[in-house]
Amino acid sequence: MSEFILEMRNISKSFAGVQALKDVTFRCRPGRVYGLVGENGAGKSTLMKILAGAYRADAGEIIYKGEKRDQASAGEVIDSGISIIYQELALVRQMSVAENIFLGREPRYALGLLNLSELHRRAAALLKRLGIRLDTSLPVSELTVAQRQLVEIAKALSQNADLIVMDEPSAILAGSELEQLFGIIESLVDEGVTIIYISHRLEEVFRIASEVTVLKDGELVDTRPIDQLDRPTLVEMMVGRPLNEIFPQTEHEQGELVLVAEKISTDTILEEASLELYAGEILGVAGMVGSGRTELARALFGADPLTSGKIALVGGKSARWGNPAQAIDSGLVLVPEDRKTHGLFTSLPVRINVTLPILSRISRFGVLKFQAEDEIVEGARARLSIVMASPDQEAQYLSGGNQQKVVLAKWLETNPAVVILDEPTRGVDVGAKFEIYRLMRQLNDRGIAIVMISSELPEIIGMSDRILVMNHGRIVGEVAQEDATEAGIIELATMAAAGANRA
Amino acid sequence: MNASLRLFGGLSASQRLFLRRYGPIFAVYGFIVVLFIIGATQSERFLTVRNLTNVARQSAFLGIIALGQMLVILTAGIDLSVGSLVKLSILVSAIVMDGQTENQGAAIVATLGLGLLVGLIHAFLVNEVKIAPFIVTLASLGILRGISLSISTSPVGSASKPFIMFYVQKIGPIPVIAVMFFALLALTALLLRYTAFGKYLYAIGGNIEVAHLSGVPVKLTRYGVYVICSVSAAITGLLWLSRMGVGDPAIGDGLELQAITAVIIGGTSLFGGRGTVIGTLGGVLLLGVTANLLVMLGVNQFVQGLIQGIIIVAAVALYKQEGD
Repeated sequence: MSEFILEMRNISKSFAGVQALKDVTFRCRPGRVYGLVGENGAGKSTLMKILAGAYRADAGEIIYKGEKRDQASAGEVIDSGISIIYQELALVRQMSVAENIFLGREPRYALGLLNLSELHRRAAALLKRLGIRLDTSLPVSELTVAQRQLVEIAKALSQNADLIVMDEPSAILAGSELEQLFGIIESLVDEGVTIIYISHRLEEVFRIASEVTVLKDGELVDTRPIDQLDRPTLVEMMVGRPLNEIFPQTEHEQGELVLVAEKISTDTILEEASLELYAGEILGVAGMVGSGRTELARALFGADPLTSGKIALVGGKSARWGNPAQAIDSGLVLVPEDRKTHGLFTSLPVRINVTLPILSRISRFGVLKFQAEDEIVEGARARLSIVMASPDQEAQYLSGGNQQKVVLAKWLETNPAVVILDEPTRGVDVGAKFEIYRLMRQLNDRGIAIVMISSELPEIIGMSDRILVMNHGRIVGEVAQEDATEAGIIELATMAAAGANRA
Repeated sequence: MNASLRLFGGLSASQRLFLRRYGPIFAVYGFIVVLFIIGATQSERFLTVRNLTNVARQSAFLGIIALGQMLVILTAGIDLSVGSLVKLSILVSAIVMDGQTENQGAAIVATLGLGLLVGLIHAFLVNEVKIAPFIVTLASLGILRGISLSISTSPVGSASKPFIMFYVQKIGPIPVIAVMFFALLALTALLLRYTAFGKYLYAIGGNIEVAHLSGVPVKLTRYGVYVICSVSAAITGLLWLSRMGVGDPAIGDGLELQAITAVIIGGTSLFGGRGTVIGTLGGVLLLGVTANLLVMLGVNQFVQGLIQGIIIVAAVALYKQEGD
């Protein structure tokens, strides 16, 4: 057997004339972690789908464990010891933890009946190996996102995988959960498992990977050991140009007070949160997943009714809103975390996605003025540099970064005073990230106040003028940008958590 | 959801989950009990062995078809054709049997074979031609009905004497047909709980993409489930022949909606992935007892449809509490 567990040699693949992969060679030695990075559309997912058997390569060959592999079905690939943990978690919400782990490979008695006690026993053993305690009969819908991720890993382990591909595993994890994931990866690697780790977060790649492969525009840029790379070099390899300014800054004085929230609580985890927001600033909100960040955003936006406290918009048209429609009228906008389910109509054209909230403004007697619509969409395309084939292209065919820009464009057309961004750059590639950052600064220049929720501490620290740290539904601290450090924010959050537990 | 969480504040997480999941089903059974109390106090004939036997028999007719329908709905599919298939089945079985005891076997095989064939065609169109189940079975509703009515618009053929006797036979006080329904009910419950096929129905309905990526034989499972559903309709056609004695082409109209109604009242999600046999039984019994009670109380039969509609909305509103 060769020194490689997996060799994908000279892989090419095109879709309808568009070359997605050109002559890419990717090799893995056993028991190592390979970072696979590149902008959206670079070909990472296509390469992994070819590995998974979901696509057939036009040219090239796959040699796995020393043998050339023909086109294989999803089931055959799993049986051969390759597990893929997809970005959109591949679990059936209605089914239990144990049923999900062994879906398609349930332990059975001789007659074909399921051995349920064995199913749960084996599931519990796997979870124990990962160091987690979880009721295996609980439906997945009852789990937190982080717990679901761990169930996915247990599923991969149950398949006796020698090679595990993790597609953006950290996009939904934060802080301690991420450390738990890294701990698991390290112990898997010690057992000889090979990991292919796809991520947009370069810090993680540096933290966990032993080698990094960079793809750009469907071509292999290079594979290098991590210790021969630094962050600027890696970014340059991915984007193809040096990026001196990661987080664009603007010089500005603190503006007028625009919004005040006083001890607001809702029927969620959120408790007695108070904040002030000034024109032209970015207020960062940091904290673990589930710390109440999203709930804070929803409360400010009127999506969850307040059970106590009050929110006032200073100098706005109206200072009261009980639902999102009134909030929008008052000049508030929320760009939600999960753009596919809350922010974007993926099956509708870009045109409608951009103009939906302002249709009444560009209609006369209820009839849409197409020319006005065209102008607005064209203006948005130019201002935000949205890459699309035409305004009639369905939003699902845009890249993640461009989808996010369409969502932003939609809300900017309402001329808001306050924009709340929940994880604005999640699942967005490096190049588009910088464009979104630049756009945020442009909004600031127009006097718009931004509340930015993010799990990425470098982004929080790099972009925010002030940072609120949340935990257990409460705002536990405020840090100025010049005083902020990643360690400081994490410490504040974890110390607050310990305090909350004692209380 | 949060209101109900607070309501169940003193309970553990798994107890709360149990209540959220099964609370509405308890409510359905509770409502059946209320109907029994109304029936017992308002009508002398309601709580008689004769009437309850009738209710059991009628529930069995709907129940068998509802079980098949439920399995299809679990996969996020639907089968609108079962009513028309019952109609064609009673005609085919009556014509083949033609009153002769020695033709019984042939009639049963022909009818079940018809169910098998229709199920295979449905699954083929859904799996291979990739037409939505709603459309496939909507077309099939029309086609099967058309075939039936072109065979005859008036009663044809007849059942053999023993076959007619089957309808009235009892084991102790319980009609054989009701026993048969309970046997199928138990079998379905076991299928869902103890076989991979059962789990795959939930997996496909819950998230077909995940099921596929996990190596679940999605197509094979769908062949199985559409065949089961069509065969359950064929069986129901045979039972109707036993009851009517002749191949009556008026049988079967609207049965598909009755079955779907029972399944929904039983808490099965039309979007698939969620549903229980015990819930479907509740739905079947609730419809059966309501219909019977309304007749007993002399309520206009057109009002029955109205009341059924209200029950559906009330039931679905209850299940909404389950949250997602």
